Amino acid sequence: MSTVLSLEHLSVALKRGRGRPISVLDDISLTVNAGEMTALVGESGSGKTIASLGVIRLLPRSAEITGKVMLAGTDLAALTESQMRKVRGRDIGMVFQNPLSALNPTTRVGNQIAEVYRLHTGESDRAARARARELLGEVGIPDPAERLDDYPHQFSGGMRQRVMIAMALACSPKLLIADEPTTGLDLLVARQILTLLSRLRREHSMGVLFITHDLSIVEEHADQVHVLYAGKSVEWGGARSFFAQPRHPYSQALLGAVPRLGQARLASIPGNLPDPESRPPGCRFAPRCAFREPACETAYPAPDTTGGTIFACRRAREINPAALLDAVTPEAAPAAPVNRATALEVTALGVDYERTATSFIQGVLGRKDKMRALEDISFTLGQGECLGIVGQSGSGKSTLGRAVLQMIPYQGHVILNGEAFDAMPRAQRKPARRRIQVVFQDPKESMNPRMRIGDIIAEPLKLAGIRSKRARVDQTVALLDRVGLSDRMINLFPGSVSGGQAQRIAIARALATNPGIIVLDEPTSSLDVSTQALLLNLLKDLARQDGLSYILISHDIAAVSYMADRIAVLNGGRMVEFGAAQEVLTSPRNAYTRELIAASPHFRTNQPGGALDIMEFLPSTAQPSAV
Amino acid sequence: MSNSLATAITAPGGALRRSAAERAAMWLGDRGTLVTGLVLAVLILGFSLLGPYLYTASPYAIHGHHALQGPSATFPLGTDQIGRNELARLIAGGYATLIVSIPAAILTFGLGIVYGLAAALSPSWIDKVLMRVLDAILALPGLVVLIFFSALFQPGNFELILLLGLTSWPGLARIVRNEAIAQRNRDFILATRQFGGGTWYVARVHILRVMAPILVVNATFLVGDMVLALSGLSFLGLGVQPPYTSWGGLLQTGLNLIALDPWWMILPAGLMIFLSIMAANLIGQGLLARFGAAR
Amino acid sequence: MLRMIVNRLLTALLSLAILITIVFFMTHATPGGPAYSILGQKATPAAVHELNVRLGLAAPLWKQYVIWWWHLLQGRLGYSYLLNRPVTQLVGDYMMNTLALYIGAILLALILSIGLGLLQGVTYERWPARVIGALQLSLYALPTFFVGTMFILYFGVKWGVLPTGGITNLRLENPGLPDYARHLILPVLTVGLLGVAGLSRYFGTSVHEELGKDYVRTALAKGLTFRAVLFKHVLRNALRPLVTILGLSFPGIFAGSVLVETVFNYPGLGYLLWRSALSQDYPVISAIVLLIGALTVIGNLLADLVNGLLDPRERFE
Repeated sequence: MSTVLSLEHLSVALKRGRGRPISVLDDISLTVNAGEMTALVGESGSGKTIASLGVIRLLPRSAEITGKVMLAGTDLAALTESQMRKVRGRDIGMVFQNPLSALNPTTRVGNQIAEVYRLHTGESDRAARARARELLGEVGIPDPAERLDDYPHQFSGGMRQRVMIAMALACSPKLLIADEPTTGLDLLVARQILTLLSRLRREHSMGVLFITHDLSIVEEHADQVHVLYAGKSVEWGGARSFFAQPRHPYSQALLGAVPRLGQARLASIPGNLPDPESRPPGCRFAPRCAFREPACETAYPAPDTTGGTIFACRRAREINPAALLDAVTPEAAPAAPVNRATALEVTALGVDYERTATSFIQGVLGRKDKMRALEDISFTLGQGECLGIVGQSGSGKSTLGRAVLQMIPYQGHVILNGEAFDAMPRAQRKPARRRIQVVFQDPKESMNPRMRIGDIIAEPLKLAGIRSKRARVDQTVALLDRVGLSDRMINLFPGSVSGGQAQRIAIARALATNPGIIVLDEPTSSLDVSTQALLLNLLKDLARQDGLSYILISHDIAAVSYMADRIAVLNGGRMVEFGAAQEVLTSPRNAYTRELIAASPHFRTNQPGGALDIMEFLPSTAQPSAV
Repeated sequence: MSNSLATAITAPGGALRRSAAERAAMWLGDRGTLVTGLVLAVLILGFSLLGPYLYTASPYAIHGHHALQGPSATFPLGTDQIGRNELARLIAGGYATLIVSIPAAILTFGLGIVYGLAAALSPSWIDKVLMRVLDAILALPGLVVLIFFSALFQPGNFELILLLGLTSWPGLARIVRNEAIAQRNRDFILATRQFGGGTWYVARVHILRVMAPILVVNATFLVGDMVLALSGLSFLGLGVQPPYTSWGGLLQTGLNLIALDPWWMILPAGLMIFLSIMAANLIGQGLLARFGAAR
Repeated sequence: MLRMIVNRLLTALLSLAILITIVFFMTHATPGGPAYSILGQKATPAAVHELNVRLGLAAPLWKQYVIWWWHLLQGRLGYSYLLNRPVTQLVGDYMMNTLALYIGAILLALILSIGLGLLQGVTYERWPARVIGALQLSLYALPTFFVGTMFILYFGVKWGVLPTGGITNLRLENPGLPDYARHLILPVLTVGLLGVAGLSRYFGTSVHEELGKDYVRTALAKGLTFRAVLFKHVLRNALRPLVTILGLSFPGIFAGSVLVETVFNYPGLGYLLWRSALSQDYPVISAIVLLIGALTVIGNLLADLVNGLLDPRERFE
């Protein structure tokens, strides 16, 4: 097995302003072999993107790079810039996240691919164009000859990413670096891209360095796994050994934070990523680790090679995986749906697409192009129940949320506690709306950036008529406490808190009016996996304490599986499946649902020795639920 | 899902995005712009408004024997063609220019915000109508309209304020309306409506607050625009009328006599206009940099 | 695509119609009137009334409005009260001069702005960008009439190298092109240099924004040199907003023309407007104001259309 890429003790430090350079990557060594995929895993701030940019040397000129970057025998770190330019695009192909912005929007796709081919081979335009067509076909784009002259925005998200892959392959590189290529893509599409990459690497004996924050995506395809935390490697080795039994507490927590069917609680990691300026000299994960001992923080542990994977943890050997086999009792499958009072009922809901008038005349006449975003949706939501709405982008699930919240016009009825909204007198609508609150996907966007957090949470109280400032402050503190935040937050602005904290503030605000129902619109999509776990646990606790009902809208089946009592699946604006969560997930009736579930790698039932069991050892949020 | 470090690296070509430390340094640096602008503004205001009390020579007194003289001890900025003290006239010019420009800016500001917000918050068809009308009004350059109207009747200072205000508000209205529309559908606005915020509450408490930086910045630029417009009008003889002087008017006189090479009748007046507009723009620029971060 | 063009055209026509109405009211519904200017301040009311009837100003307003449109559509814009020449001819002559001035100025401004803007965008936050920024700020704050006057003072009066005004040397029998050109230099410089301020600022910002976009990183990752990326990819994308700006700056240009032409005694449209305004020569005023308004609307339309053509995202909507 020949090694294509070998990073040897690579360290990168960046200059920030006039201060000392900050170490972003510290002594990383990894390999990628021909025909294989090495997954470089880490959450935001781990340094994984820096690593990829460091390999192709697209870091700012002020960056300090030490160590070796060996590409098939040549040390890239020692090359001159003009030599490096020959490597880029020819020996190494790069695929970036977000293909819409990563491609030039005003240049035809064929030209963009041909450009890199011409640059490195000096071939003619005709030859380059032919090569571009060949590549488009190879990555699975139908009618490649016609599509050569199309622009990036004329492709769908998945197709665009294929175009990027085609571009990266143009000169048959030895190494392909893919930086979060599937983030933001639908699950089914992401799966296709991964399959494509695996086929290509095998056919071309190409090495793939796949960078991601999502371990589960690479479970099927990676040959090696390398986990980064705060710039240092914490665990690495063969994928099979890794996924069978990760040893480092961080890796275990990462895997355990991914919701799986039948899980009672999620493993979450309290605390935040350490500020680069105040890192402990020892293990960087120590401040957040449940197993830490004083020695952990002072000296960095030497790599332990005794197990299937190599890891840097002094205590890992003591964490006996077998002992953790305390299988969490899967929730007793509800024999019959619990008899619940109906909190909300939706009948024959339909929503038209709001398209702006395409011509002036049409605008004047008031006619708009009509397309249905939602068609004939009906369901009931019981008290204390969580209804999961699952679908890919464009399925109409967000539209459904907005319709229920009365934010957009709709046809059909939304009936709250027996009263339909459209039948209510004007004056009653506002107080009725208060009983259904919302938590949006982007927590910082859902708050006024120029308002203090205390005021943000108190605002609904103010609008509900609570005049006394004292009373509002007291309630604000109480709400913050319920979501696990200190009252220190009151005077801060949203910009100075983390995403996870911001989302908790959003939840606190949603609770302020004592709603019976909360619509959660992709509440965890923009958060790290570990933070996601924290939030989902919190939501579950709150529901239990207050008897809250949720409508959880998400494209992430895993999250929905963890939270929902019943699940509805949307496709193209219609509800294609609806039933108890267990049933929908284990024996779906609809073909589309089956496809969705099969695509989600999270979908294994509890495996013995699964990492999720260590949750009992994690503090604060790890209280096994009484099922 | 962003860490300041990770996002710090994405821009190639050596353009590092700013970290906290760098931002602080820049804040100080840009404060320089703001401070310079403020100092300049204070000086000009002082010159124009306090000047008459500190330098008591009369701008109207005619000294026939000393006509068209360059700067001297008695006349620090020389005299004009009928022997009036140029420095005194400069101060008086400042006074007239400012007491028209600043209220005009305020008027423009008020009208622009009201119209812009009304358009943004109304149902879509009203907004469309309002914007069509606005487009039509904007098709006529303000100066042209100004010339037209001030040629019709000799405007006094008050009429000038009205005239300037009524011809300049469309530009601001469009900016306000576009900004307000952009904010209108943001998540935090939607959330506020959900727990009881009505249209006016949302506009007052949220939209205005978020728009405040842009509004303030535009207000400062507006003052500069007013000074320019007024000076231009006065230069054409259509603005500030005798007995008031204005910088534009002084320039016109200088131009008419240009064959006599009267640099002292041209340079100071032009410089004052330049410095005033500069001050307004520096303040606006400095504020823009300050507010830029917290959007 | 065709739909978009038709759509924009209709909108433009509507704006034009509103504009024409506004101008009508401006010129016909305001108090006073040209009678006193023509006949003198001591005119008797009878004479004034008779003149008004002759000029068609005594009819009821709505009737005047209809006649106004009727004449407009025929291309009859009337006769100048003062100069007694057909307005169309008058405006036509003066407009050529203004065009000459502006084409020269725009070319100058464009060349300088693209160069400065490129430099500014690429060296963002380093000293060249700051220097250019300071330059832009200063140019922006300089009034055209001040700069023009100073130019005349120094180049014309003190040093005598360039003419001080007008469009030709009145002493020459046959002023040829060189003479025209000499007279154009200072006005073009004035307008052009000051136009650089805004234009280069826009372009500089545009370049800087484009440089921060992801596709630049992708292009670099393909092995292109920075220079290649700049000129092959970034420049094209950064230039697009410039086209729109040019189209939208028509109103500003004409406003500016009044001032500059007055300073240089340059017989252009703005100069004509000023003179007509002073003597209340309504037909001329209306015609010029209409022309400026129409050109603005057309300028906007063209800017929209060209932008739509250049941006493939718009083209295929």
